[in-house]
Amino acid sequence: MRRWLLVAASLALVVAQACGGSSSSGGNFDPATVSGTVSLSGWQASPEEGAALKTVLDGFKAKYPKITVDYQPVAGDYAAAMVAKFSAHQPPDVFYVNAEVAPDWIKQGVLHSLDDWAGSRSFDTSQFFPGYLNAFKGADGKTYGYPKDGNTLAMAYNPDILSAAGVQPPTTFDEMTSVGAALKAKGITAYSLSSTLDRVLAFIYADGGNLLSADKKSSAIDKPGFKEALNFYLNLFKMGYAKTPSDFGVDWSGKALGEKKAPIIFEGGWLDSYMHGTFPNVNYKWMEMPKGTAGKATLAFTVSYSIGKDSAHMDAAWLLLTYLTGKDGMKIWTQGGVALPSRKDVAAPAGKEVLVSSAAFAHPWSFIPGFSKVLDAFNNAFTGALQGNGNADTIIAKTKQTLDAQLNQP
Amino acid sequence: MLGIRLGRGSLGTERAQEALAGYAFIAIPLALFMIFNIGSLFYSLYISFWRWEILGPTDFLGLRNYQFILRDEIFHTAVKNSVYYTVIVVPIQMALGLTLAVTVNQIWRGRSFFRAAFYFPAIASSAAITVLFIYILAPDGLLNHLLELIGVVPLSFHNRGNWLGHSDTALNSVIGLNAWTTSGTMMLYYLGSLQAIPSEVYEAAKVDGAGGWTTFRRITFPLLAPAHYLVAVVSVIGALQLFDQAYIAGGADGNPNYALMTIVLYLYNATFRQFEFGYAAAVGIVLFIIIFTATLIQRRFFGSSDWASSR
Repeated sequence: MRRWLLVAASLALVVAQACGGSSSSGGNFDPATVSGTVSLSGWQASPEEGAALKTVLDGFKAKYPKITVDYQPVAGDYAAAMVAKFSAHQPPDVFYVNAEVAPDWIKQGVLHSLDDWAGSRSFDTSQFFPGYLNAFKGADGKTYGYPKDGNTLAMAYNPDILSAAGVQPPTTFDEMTSVGAALKAKGITAYSLSSTLDRVLAFIYADGGNLLSADKKSSAIDKPGFKEALNFYLNLFKMGYAKTPSDFGVDWSGKALGEKKAPIIFEGGWLDSYMHGTFPNVNYKWMEMPKGTAGKATLAFTVSYSIGKDSAHMDAAWLLLTYLTGKDGMKIWTQGGVALPSRKDVAAPAGKEVLVSSAAFAHPWSFIPGFSKVLDAFNNAFTGALQGNGNADTIIAKTKQTLDAQLNQP
Repeated sequence: MLGIRLGRGSLGTERAQEALAGYAFIAIPLALFMIFNIGSLFYSLYISFWRWEILGPTDFLGLRNYQFILRDEIFHTAVKNSVYYTVIVVPIQMALGLTLAVTVNQIWRGRSFFRAAFYFPAIASSAAITVLFIYILAPDGLLNHLLELIGVVPLSFHNRGNWLGHSDTALNSVIGLNAWTTSGTMMLYYLGSLQAIPSEVYEAAKVDGAGGWTTFRRITFPLLAPAHYLVAVVSVIGALQLFDQAYIAGGADGNPNYALMTIVLYLYNATFRQFEFGYAAAVGIVLFIIIFTATLIQRRFFGSSDWASSR
């Protein structure tokens, strides 16, 4: 009998708590009254990143002393860990979403849209670079996350090697070819070029090509620009001006730059901490991506803070989310140099101006649900073409086949 | 009765009690096995008939998941790669394991040292060994340096010395690495059986004037038949489930040019990159059928179960 009483009492408690906590999405939202614990989850790329986040969370604590943040970074396979939490309907309150998987998670209905709150609680999203913010827009036009920071691709080059060879860093595709030839004449392979779409696509955009139509409903891969850019890129390999990191015997282009195997690479801001840590004595500089026939273009990589549909503490979550992606929080987050701001109103850290300003002409690295299959199709076909099994046409045919299959999925 | 139980009833009770005690001892592992192995097997079968995403089932698809799998070109590549890998790696593993076992069995001095040394790769984590091999097989890695020392120029090869990065050599490189890492485990299986062969048989062979090779061919090899069966089954199952080495060496996408796409990697992609749990469960069932069939064929090939268990 006493057991039953206990169960009934705790049930009543749970119900009371649930009712008390469900004051979200009301018109009379008063941040000062929100209290409790809010859980925050993500992955941690480096100890510096953890330290920087702690500083931001201290700032949050000072502004909202009644809210406690429970930070639980996920070690290992983040997507797998989050999928388990979504399936159990127990996601953290605020968490990272990689732009690449955002369309999948939005389609699966595990994220909470933010537009209603932004409207009723007047959060200004116009300061985010569209290239970052648009990565988290669903097919319904709603926004499911705000970019916590961002990164673009730019050209990193070793000025010592280039000036010793008497060449200027290239600013256009044509110059890329001539620089490649000039360096080859001196026995230098100019470029370490990745054979994956997350680099090649920047060149495709610069030549006016695209993967998808503007409404993301059909493929645009066979429109002009795509094939031209592919042929340009493949030709750099064929002429011996470029090699893949794998053919240089390194795991990524940053290492090829550090080991002076290639003087020119195309990477993002993550290169800086790597070079400072591993190759502090190798000189390198940033420049915008070379222009193609359609002008400047690059790729924008980003990660959002999002709230789960089943997150338990929505009000506190909203306050944390908007603090972390707001002007003040992002300023603290990016000033240590671990990340670049995704907002126009936060100044770029010194030496990273190129990477931040490139966001103005960047296309988001975020496409459609099921994109990982398209990515795999392109990457494998591209490697095949590099190794003598195919050409630009086979890459286009195989990617289009997979892309169409994903677009036609219910 | 003085404690002597001869009656049928009492013997039966004793047996029943003994059986009960036995079941009591294995109750917990048995329950875990039933829930997490058998239970989840049937649950996957159930899931495989649905479109089942992160938040659960959405549509009943019947056999449509299976139809998609059987039509998908990438799955065909995955099966082709996994089968090729198995057909090549299993005989190598068995031959290596047997050679090591026979060698270790004949050494008396330092026997435990060699046993441990040969077994070492099996203890080390496959991820660590794969990373080590990525360095060894890199274009400027140890293997190519050794080749240059003996006058071979790897850069002139079709793969430009990029063993794991070129689609023509990637899978064979993983075969080489795995044959080496698993040989220690296979050696242990063989070693146990080798030591179970009674010495009288060898003495009799000696009396009959059999030499070393004849003894091995006519006595050791045939008497190891149960071990051959065990090793073959274990390594075929392991080989068809190849995942971690392929994932670490080639990435989730099976690059270069799908050379490292395996059935389990395909399953991983369906689950954690495409979030199609129903489809992934169907892939798991297809893999189960492939492994089950392979095991049945081996049973046929290596003789009846009586034969295997009576030795």
